[in-house]
Order: sequence, then C-alpha cells, then structure tokens
Amino acid sequence: MFRNYFKIAWRNLLKNKVYSFINISGLAVGMAATIMIGLWITDELNYNDHFKKKDVIAQVYQSQAMNGDVGTGPAIPRPLEFILREEYADNFKHIVMSSWEQPRYLKYGETNIYTQGNAMQESGPEMLDLKIIEGIKDGLKEKNSIMLSETSAKTLFGSDAAVGKIIKVNNLDDLIVTAVYNDIPENNSFNEMDYLIPWKYYVTKQPWLENAIDRWGNNSFQMFVQINENTTMEAVTSKIIDVKKNASVDEAEFNPQIFLFPMQDWYLRNDFENGVQSGGRIENVWLFGIIGLFILLLACINFINLSTARSEKRATEVGIRKSIGSQRGQLIFQFLSESFLIVILSFVFAIGIVLLFLNGFNNLASKVIVFPWTNIQFWLVALAFIIVTAFLSGSYPAIYLSSFNPVAVLKGAFKSGRYSSLPRKILVVTQFTVSIALIIATLVVMNQIQFSKDRPVGYDKEGLIQIPVMSNEFIGKAEVMRTQFIASGGAIEMATTSSPTTNVWSNRSGYTWEGKPVGFQEDLAYTNVSYEFVKTLGAKIIQGRGFSRDFPSDSLGVILNKTAVEYMGIKDPIGKYIRDADTDVENREPPLKIIGVIDDIIMQSPYSPVKQSIYAFDNGGTASFYNLRLNPEKSTAKNLEIIKNVFKKNFPDTPFDFQFVDEEYGRKFSSEERIASLARVFTALAIFISCLGLFGLASFVAEQRTKEIGVRKVLGASISQLWLLLSKDFITLVVIALLIASPFAYYIMGQWLQKFSYRVSVGWDVFAIACFGALIITLITVSFQAIKAAIANPIKSLRTE
Amino acid sequence: MIKITDLEKYYKTEELQTIALNKLSFDVKKGEFVAIMGPSGCGKSTLLNILGMLDDSDGGSFIFNGEEVIHYNERKRANIRKHNIGFVFQSFNLIDQLTVFENVELPLIYTGVKKAERKKKVHEVLEKMQIMHRRKHFPQQLSGGQQQRVAVARAVVNNPKLILADEPTGNLDSSNGNEVMDLLTELNKQGTTIIMVTHSEHDAKFSHRIIRMLDGQKVIENSLI
Repeated sequence: MFRNYFKIAWRNLLKNKVYSFINISGLAVGMAATIMIGLWITDELNYNDHFKKKDVIAQVYQSQAMNGDVGTGPAIPRPLEFILREEYADNFKHIVMSSWEQPRYLKYGETNIYTQGNAMQESGPEMLDLKIIEGIKDGLKEKNSIMLSETSAKTLFGSDAAVGKIIKVNNLDDLIVTAVYNDIPENNSFNEMDYLIPWKYYVTKQPWLENAIDRWGNNSFQMFVQINENTTMEAVTSKIIDVKKNASVDEAEFNPQIFLFPMQDWYLRNDFENGVQSGGRIENVWLFGIIGLFILLLACINFINLSTARSEKRATEVGIRKSIGSQRGQLIFQFLSESFLIVILSFVFAIGIVLLFLNGFNNLASKVIVFPWTNIQFWLVALAFIIVTAFLSGSYPAIYLSSFNPVAVLKGAFKSGRYSSLPRKILVVTQFTVSIALIIATLVVMNQIQFSKDRPVGYDKEGLIQIPVMSNEFIGKAEVMRTQFIASGGAIEMATTSSPTTNVWSNRSGYTWEGKPVGFQEDLAYTNVSYEFVKTLGAKIIQGRGFSRDFPSDSLGVILNKTAVEYMGIKDPIGKYIRDADTDVENREPPLKIIGVIDDIIMQSPYSPVKQSIYAFDNGGTASFYNLRLNPEKSTAKNLEIIKNVFKKNFPDTPFDFQFVDEEYGRKFSSEERIASLARVFTALAIFISCLGLFGLASFVAEQRTKEIGVRKVLGASISQLWLLLSKDFITLVVIALLIASPFAYYIMGQWLQKFSYRVSVGWDVFAIACFGALIITLITVSFQAIKAAIANPIKSLRTE
Repeated sequence: MIKITDLEKYYKTEELQTIALNKLSFDVKKGEFVAIMGPSGCGKSTLLNILGMLDDSDGGSFIFNGEEVIHYNERKRANIRKHNIGFVFQSFNLIDQLTVFENVELPLIYTGVKKAERKKKVHEVLEKMQIMHRRKHFPQQLSGGQQQRVAVARAVVNNPKLILADEPTGNLDSSNGNEVMDLLTELNKQGTTIIMVTHSEHDAKFSHRIIRMLDGQKVIENSLI
C-alpha cells in the first residue's frame, strides 16, 4: 500500500514539474531558514555551556538609586569582599575578586603581545574549571605569577614549554608562568581572557587600588562567586542584599542593593530597568523564533494552497479509489504520505541550503555555528520538525481531497463551490500580512539605525585615532610625544583622555556648587583630558573656552557639557566653581573652576541622551589614550606609517596598537545592525516564498480560466483588460493584507522603539514604501501568468474543449 | 441478490427539487444479466450509483445479499463494495499515474491481498483480457478498447459477485464495443451478476432482461430469455 502511495506521489511530482518545484523549493527555503534560526537560537541558549558549574556561579551586582533613578551594574566596592568572607562564608564555595578585562603588554624575548586578561583571586581558575594543559591549577598563588591561555602561550613560546619562563608585563614587572590553560571557547564568557594575573599583584600596582580597600563608594571592581550546593541564588541574595547599606552610612542614601546575578542570565537576560531584570538578548531569541515559525508557516501555506487549488486534477483519482473500495481514512493516509514525501525531499534540499549558506549566515550573525552532524538531539528534533511540517502542510489538503463525492467526480460534474477558494484566499492574505509586516519592521529597524547614525556626535570622528597608553612606560611622556607626533607631520594635534572618546570609564558624585538643590544626588560622567582636547576632537565651545597653556590656573579648571549645565542648574557657569563635598577638610580636593561649556558629545549609547559630563584637566598619570588628529593633507596610510615610526622610536619594545575613532563609534550599532541584516534576509525569504505561492496560484487560475479568456478574447477583450481581470483578485488580497499588517506592525515596532530614548518616529513613508513594494512585487509575480494567458491564441484554448 | 423497494432519490437546488428515482422497485437474481435503459435524466446512473453504494437514497429499501444496507455508513458500504462489487465506467476511469498492472492491482491492495497472490491474480486476469503485453504501459498509451479492457480487468480481478457497468461501450467504436460486451457475457456465464446501464439497444440484447425507465420510474420490463 505504502509503495503504491509513494509511487503515485513520485509520479505526480515528476508529471507536474512546475508545481513540484514551487512546492519543494518553497518548503526547502522555508525549512532552511527555520533550521538556521533554530541553530542560531540553540547557540544563543547554549551560551556559557562550557562552564559545567554555571548553575551555581554568579556575579555580584549592585543597584543604586540616584535622584529616584535606579541603576544596576556589576561594579562593586572592595570592602564588600571582606564582609562576605567574614559573615557569609558558609554560603559560598568560592569568592573571587576580579579586575575588569584589560589589555596588557606581555613580552618574552623579542615577542611582545598586547592582549586582554584579568586579575583574579586564587580560586578563580578552579571556579571557572579552567583546563590546565601545563602547570598547576592554583597558579595564582604567588604574587609574581601569571597563567596564560594556550593561544598566548603559543604566540610567546611557540612549541616550547611555557611554565617557569619569565614574562615582562607592561614592560615593568617580571612574572613567572605557572600554568597554561585551554582557550575558553567562543560563545562563552571570558572567551577573550588570554591571561590571568594574581589579584594581590594587581591591587598593589596603583595607589588608588590599594586605597580602595576600605572605600565603599569606590565601585571599580568585579566579584564572581560560586554558591554552596545547599543553597540557592535567591536565598543568598536575600541575606546579602543590604550589606553595603548597613556597612556604610554615606552610601546608604543611595539605597545600594547587593545581589547575585546567575551566570545563566549573563548573556541573555542582562538588561535592568529601574533595578529590575527586564530581558536582554532573549527578546531577540523570541523574535527570531517567531520569524522562523512564520517563514515555515508561509511555506506550508504554499503547499496547502497549491494542493487544494489543483484538487480537480486529483478528483477523478479519489473517485476511482473510493469506487474500488478505498475508505476515506486510507485516502487521508495516502495524501499525508504524499506530503511526507515532499517534506522529506524538501528537508534534504534544506540541509543542502543550510550547508551552502552557513558561513554567510555566521558572518551575518557574528557566530561560529557548525552544522551538528553528530548531534543525535539535532536529528531527533529534525525528525519531529519533518513530522510537524508534513502534518501542518498536508492535513488540510488530505482532509479536503478525501472528502470528494465519488459520484460527482466520476460523472465529471465536479465543480468547486463558490466559496471553495475562500480558505485559499484567507491563507494568501495571511502570507502577505506576515510578509508586509516584516517589510515594515525591517524598514523601521533600518530607519532607526540610520536616524541614530545621522545624529550629530558633537565632534569630528573622521581622521581621529586613539592609541591606548595604559601601561606605566607611557607615564609622563604625553607632552614629548605630542611634540614629536606634530613635528613628524603625521598628526596635526594630540590630546590625552582618561577614557576612550567612545566610552565613559568613570562616574563621579560628591560635589557641591552654587545653587545645588538640597538632597540632589548628582551622577556625572568624568573624564580627564589634556590641553588640546577640544581642538583635537573638534568639539564645539558654547561658552567660555577650552584648556589653554596661557592660563596656568587651568590645571584646576573643568569643562562641562551642555547637558551638565542644565542638569546641575548652574546659571552663567563660566568662572563658577565645582567643589568637593567631602566634610573632611584635609582630604578635600581643590575646587574646580568652570572655564568652558562644550556642546554634548556622544561617548556612550547613540540611542540615549548624552549624559551630564565633566572634563577635568589631566595633571599627569591618568591618560589612557593618546587621541591624534591625523594630518588631512596626507593619506591615512601615510599618516599611520609616520605615527608608527615616531611611536616605535620612543617605545621600541611596545607593539603599536590603535583604533580609528569612527570605527569604534560604528561598533555601537553592531548589535542593531546585525538584527537589521538578519531581518532583511528573513524578510526577503518571506517575500520570496509568498511570491512563489502566488506565482503558482496565478498560473493555476490562468489555466483554469483558459476557456473563459479565449471566449472573452473572441468577443473583443484587449490584453490589458484580460490582464486586469486576472490580476485584480490577487491585488485585492494584497490590499487586505496591507490593511491588516500595517496597524499590527505599527504597534509592534512602536513598542520596539520604546527601548531607545533617541528614536525615529514611525512615519507614513514606511507604510507607503511597504505598500508600494508589496503591490509591485504582486503585480510582477501575477502579471507573468496573466499576460501569458492573455496573449495566447484563443482558437487554441477553445479547441482544447 | 438485490431487492429494492420504493427507492427514492431527490436532487435539490436552491429553487427546485428534481425527482431522480420515484418509488422504484425491482429485484435482480444471482447470475442475472440486467440492462437498464431509458432516456437521459431518467435516473439510470443514479440508480447504478445507489446500487454500487456510492450514493445514498432518500427513501425505500435496498437489500443486498439478504442485508438491508440503506442505512449503512460509508465505512461499512466501502467494505461491502470492495469485496462484492466491480465497476466499469463509460470513461474507463483509470488512474493516469499508474500502469495497467498497477491499476488492476489496486482493488486487491484495498482488500489486503498479499503481494505474490496479487501478482498471480493480476496476471491471470490480464491474460484473460488479452492485455498482458500492455501491462507496463500507462493508460494514455492505450487505445479506448484496450483501456476499457483494463477497466473490466480491474472490475473483475477481485472476483466480485456483481459488476455494475455504466455505458461500458459508450466511448468505443462498434468492434471494440462488441469485444467488451463479449467479455461481460463471458463473465456472466461464469456466474457474475451484471447490471448494465446503456443507451444502446444492441448492447442491451446481450442481457437477460431489460428494465426501461422514465422519470425515475420503471415503465416496462422485457425478458429476453
């Protein structure tokens, strides 16, 4: 019986090549898209799977309220460690203080690399389950030790043994290699951690680090913990939530709340709104999951529509089979097995498509997904996927086809009823509703990105580079370097900053000023800059002036951005002072005189308002970057060559590392751009699949109405009239889809835009483009068949009767 | 074998009701060859469809092999049909996608006959119909007469007790038509009951008895033996 079914199915496939092609290619493309989205979702959900103990590892987070706004983040103060160790030790298996991931120079012999790593306490490697390939696991015990990733060990020592070798770190200290660990794979936290140095080494490197030991207000560190097996994250959080508030009277006013943020949530659920976890990348997972299902649905709809549309062709067969004794159940089974055959064939093609485009997809999505050939789970899911798809696409046609009355169909009196095409019409409308909604959504995402990109950044980011200078050898060299860079002709100006131009590394509070409202809790972005900051960046002075060598007192000067002036409520700010609010007169820092106000420059998110910022004069020692304005009269390549030479002359052992500021700024859009690229691809696929179905239906309708067209033509209908006759039904369906999709997409995208403070409004133009686009695509798809039918010789079509 | 009493069938459209069978009664004995004649629209085909259990009646009684089947559901009727009744249609109604062999094999598949047995039976019947050499051809590759022979082969492969033939020669020329009538006569001689609807007086002469119908009623009955 099965063989008989498959035989008929196979012969039908071969006989109706166009329909088979539409069915199989549509389903294959749809399935391929769904498989790729599935692989992407799995990859996202498996983030941090490398860490076996991810259920019990957490990072300690902190929420604080400033003027009613609750901010949440991983930065915590040093003394927190001691309280947790002394009073809450029985909750934790490990408590690990850590620095931020930071680049350092690692030099061995002639090889010098500049790479990322952390400083951690001793039990870090054990907590993270680092796989030691050489040396010992507790390699951070000694103060002058360093652990290396496999990659960095290979770069430094080649195939030689690493353990026992001495490395110069930041051209300053000699650290001895105690261990080499396996690289942490991509798709995991810490995957860029190329070295680990001991916490006790790190905290002695700079006075402020040492001083932070009892400063509850200095939130400059990270802490990772592994909780004990007999407790839960929530239970521990409930115990430690108020430790900081209780420990520090000064900090209590910010209502600090300490809590554990489980490793499982680090990647997918790391957004906080007003102190409450509010999602994150998981939203994209949902979004693309839904898109994947929709695309599959569109492909199934093609199958359903074409099968039912062509039912007349199968009607006789149904009649014969019934008259010979087939029961309805057997016919349903037969048609379902046909859809199985088509789905299985499509799946095979879909796998081919996935393999062909997986690399491209990886590039688009910034992933390194490998096809899971040997993963049994994948194949089980694939089997379920085939079954579901076959039922989804085959059930309705099977039930419909098997319902034919044998008497009617064998008499040749079978005619579809007046409403028999209604379900098909509804399905076409569904397809185009989804496609049009996707078009609108993609346009809105693209508009939002462009809108934010077009936003004035407040400085000239083209022709500007930044060179990181965070190691000790650079201290005190900035003036000399500036002179040399300018003299070389590679740059026309240089300024140092304590944060990159595209980020804020430090926030400060504890100031007072004339007119400060009582109880106002200020939170200011703080950057140290050198004399030529304004000039180098090309920032715009609104009031006053920039730092100047002509005014020695500028060493205690400060520049505010426009938002800071409004935020602090200072009228006529030039010449006024911002003072340290510390009640301890001896520790109080000298007052800072406001010498200028600049227009806002975007250092953080291009989607958010610019934060109130102050730029204080760098009195030496805090420069993290040299910012160089390249010479516009030379090519970029030439400028870079000159600058590199100057750099190497002064720091022969240090690798020359730099970033283009405009590229760094561009990275701020990468996440949204990735979404936009993916959305574009999937929208294109959705449109393709829908059009494929429409093309099939149009050719079916044209075929069905051949005689009618012939008669009309004989009676004098023109080609354009016939074209209109055949196209207008489809256009009507697409217009209905437009009417449904537009308000739906308007609402959904309105919600999506809410997460950006600086956002585009969803204008009529988006709908106009989507509307116009959908109609044009429909007309092109349908017209091919309509015109073909319209220009056919009527004698021919009438003779076939 | 068949006894119908006061059989009724109406066709309803939005505006009017047409009576296709009007309290029709007759019986057919086992081994009989009955021809049903009458003008178009007199209800012949409707009658044949009801006898073949492809269609419902709207009233009356239909006893098949001593069983009242009038209220049977589709599943039961399909079951009786596949074991007892073979159909021969005017337009042959072969499945285009299946070969001659596969078309004839189909009823055996539905009655659950084993593969080897099926092959044997199909070969036997194809030999008998002298169409064996065409067994691998598809219907569209055969002449009308050959197609109808295949259709007859399919109708008899299961050894049905009853063959219902709906104008079996309607689409054939006279020599092919005669061939098909000879086949049916031969089957009848071997014990198969045959009910045939026809317009052709010539064909009707092959039967034992002619029932003439008009407006859904039996108007006359001629015995030819």
